[in-house]
Amino acid sequence: MGRIAAAYNWFDERTAIRSLIRKGLYEAVPVRGAWFYTLGSATLVLILLQLITGIFLTLLYVPSVTEAWASLHYLSQHDAFGSIVRGIHLWSAYILLFVIGLHMVRTFFSGSYKRPRELNWVTGVGLFVLVLAMAITGAFLPWDQAAYWTAVVVTNIAVYTPFIGSFLRALWRGADTVGPTTLSRTFGIHVWLIPAILFPLIGAHLALLRKHGEFGSYVNYRGAYRSREGVDVPPAPKQRPIEPPYPAVPTDELWAAPLETEDFYPHQTFKDGVVSAALVILVFILAVAIGAPLEAIADPATTSYTPVPEWFFLPLDELLLLVPQQLIPLVLVLPTGGVLLLLALPFIDRDPERNPFERPAVMVPGAFAVLFVVILTLLGSGRLFNL
Amino acid sequence: MSELIALVGPALHMLAAELPSQAPQGHNRIAAQAAIGSLFSLHILIAGLVSGAGELGPAIEFLGFVRQRRRYDRLAHGLGRFVTLYFSFSSAIAILLITVLLVGYWGRFWTTIVTIGWWPLFIEAWTFVLQVSLAYIWYYTWEPLRAFKGLHMAIGGLLAIASFLQVYMIDIIASYMLTPTNPQNPLRLALNPTSYPLTVHRTVGNLAYIGFAFGAFCAIRFLRARNPEDKAFYDWAGSFGLLWGVAMTLLQPIVGYSYAKEIQLHSYGSWYKMMFGTLSPVFLWQITLLGIMFITATLYFGRRLRTDGARGSGLLRAMSVGLVLTTLLAAMPYHLGFTYADVAAAGLDRPFWEGGLINPLGSMIPWKVLALMFYTLIAIAAVVWYLRGLPGVVWGGARRGEQRILMLMAVLTMLMIVTMGFIRENSRGPFLISGQMTIEGQQNTQNPQPTPTP
Repeated sequence: MGRIAAAYNWFDERTAIRSLIRKGLYEAVPVRGAWFYTLGSATLVLILLQLITGIFLTLLYVPSVTEAWASLHYLSQHDAFGSIVRGIHLWSAYILLFVIGLHMVRTFFSGSYKRPRELNWVTGVGLFVLVLAMAITGAFLPWDQAAYWTAVVVTNIAVYTPFIGSFLRALWRGADTVGPTTLSRTFGIHVWLIPAILFPLIGAHLALLRKHGEFGSYVNYRGAYRSREGVDVPPAPKQRPIEPPYPAVPTDELWAAPLETEDFYPHQTFKDGVVSAALVILVFILAVAIGAPLEAIADPATTSYTPVPEWFFLPLDELLLLVPQQLIPLVLVLPTGGVLLLLALPFIDRDPERNPFERPAVMVPGAFAVLFVVILTLLGSGRLFNL
Repeated sequence: MSELIALVGPALHMLAAELPSQAPQGHNRIAAQAAIGSLFSLHILIAGLVSGAGELGPAIEFLGFVRQRRRYDRLAHGLGRFVTLYFSFSSAIAILLITVLLVGYWGRFWTTIVTIGWWPLFIEAWTFVLQVSLAYIWYYTWEPLRAFKGLHMAIGGLLAIASFLQVYMIDIIASYMLTPTNPQNPLRLALNPTSYPLTVHRTVGNLAYIGFAFGAFCAIRFLRARNPEDKAFYDWAGSFGLLWGVAMTLLQPIVGYSYAKEIQLHSYGSWYKMMFGTLSPVFLWQITLLGIMFITATLYFGRRLRTDGARGSGLLRAMSVGLVLTTLLAAMPYHLGFTYADVAAAGLDRPFWEGGLINPLGSMIPWKVLALMFYTLIAIAAVVWYLRGLPGVVWGGARRGEQRILMLMAVLTMLMIVTMGFIRENSRGPFLISGQMTIEGQQNTQNPQPTPTP
């Protein structure tokens, strides 16, 4: 026995690492829809990339109105590696928002949020909101013109919260106007408060995923609905049995067992690796080719600057532009109401049916909401070119 | 042969003597405008269908592949047939419009717009070639490529892209006429303030229009069909078309409103004319028509479910009532001041920049915005309820009344398209290119050319 093997055995005797790895790698996962499932692991990889690059940035960044811009300017002008790290931080955040959105859309349309996976969905919605909050608070930190005016607009939105709006805005700003306290508070929220909730929630999400398995999607069972000739047939009364523990609680005979399974390693890990690696390479290319912009230092007195919202703000920005002044509070209720509705979704839609074509009550409003956001983003982005 | 020449010859001579030596001049301006307007309307009515079919057909083929249902394949094939049959008709009208009417009547405008928009028009011409080539390949390889469905769907996907590009290119020109930008910068030209919203508005509109149109076509075929299999297919396809059309129309209040907002920001005069000026009654008719479309569609949903005793028809009837009330809200003038005296009595006889209104009929805020929101929400609920009830429907058993509603929907959609075109084109008046070129002095053919010296 070699020394490495002996050391491994010593470590395993004390930690049971071998069985832990085996349990982690050799779980049954569905064959159908495996590429769709890579969105979850890609989200995790991008969050980790955010964490690593974020740690590097905090080594240099100074969260004060006099030093924040200067520290990033130094990074951009005098530190080639630092400027790439900042680029990776920005672009991985952008792509993370896109990928986590796609992951949610996939889960929604395939009906994966249904019993017993309600809490997977709830933690997932929580993660989505936190990632969005990370992006918004991160946009304040460079303290350039774009950051300053984003801070003004975003903290102003808080004032529309019923009853406690003014209090919330004052709490966030730390004064009547956006200033030094706003920046230091936002920095604290960005690097401490949100991650302190985000990472435990990721742990809970993954633990629930392993408990219930990845079998939730309609696509895992799709074969039950058609014959080889492509003619519609009624669902098969019984499907091929699968070893327990998946799913943990069979809710319905039709959805009890997926048709085809394979081991997580190497099949799913390969697919996860391909997608994640492709995204990391894309992030790196964008970071090198475009980098992270840094505009002129924030100047509250300027009258010539036209603020441009971050792309993930475009739907809300477009909506705010469209509606009359009297209806603005109503528009700001929409995102809050939307998040609450998303949280409640698995408890409202309790029918075990997962086929998207057989769930019109959820699919039509859901598809409309997705199209609504996409179209508002498109319209908003069109306007950006005409500034 | 000589007899034929003897017969036709004098007639040709007479005709030649009567024909004008050049396009009719200024005193026929109204007639020219009417001719151009009506032919453009006809062109848009057909071209919108062709573009919509080129985009929707491949989507339905893909849907059929995913759902493994042959009726989708049959429907997509029918749309492919439509594109191949009507593409040339639509193109012929466009050629007539350009080569005869636009060059003849508005020569200066046409030369200017081609010079400014040379690149979009160049790409437009090639997307036509691409669109028609792909349409023929897509349609005629249906059976040969049945074993290679992925490849066939990829061809369909390219056709959809070509159809979209073709709409986008012409929208660059149409939107430039309303909100001109620096013509020297091709990017500014392509992304002028209204090109983006107009393209989204038209693309969604074309997709809705083709749904309503083939719904009506299927209604006619249903009434003529004798074979139960055909009856079942046309009944289903008619319902599918209407459902698709309504689903797309649901997006239009947001897209259309955004388009109007861009016009307000970048061409205030046109916007003012639409909302408060001479076009505001037409605008009022448009928002009312939108309500009528939603009411009619909901009536169909309710009737179709009731015919087969499926659940949900009662609630759909209640939704129709809700839509009627919303339409009344939408159609209500902002201020009931139909005469100048009424406006003056309300203290609104001031210029608009001082908070007054000249013609307050079409004001959007806030009631019409609320009406648009209600339209959307109620129509979403109607679509959901109809889909929930569909498992109780047996295709092929529809009544004549439902088929009449499908036909009515197509007529209403055509009216809507013509109304919208009328509003947009007239909001620029008297300009052909907003703020830059009017309809006057378009025919400068009388200027003598300098005599070349040897």
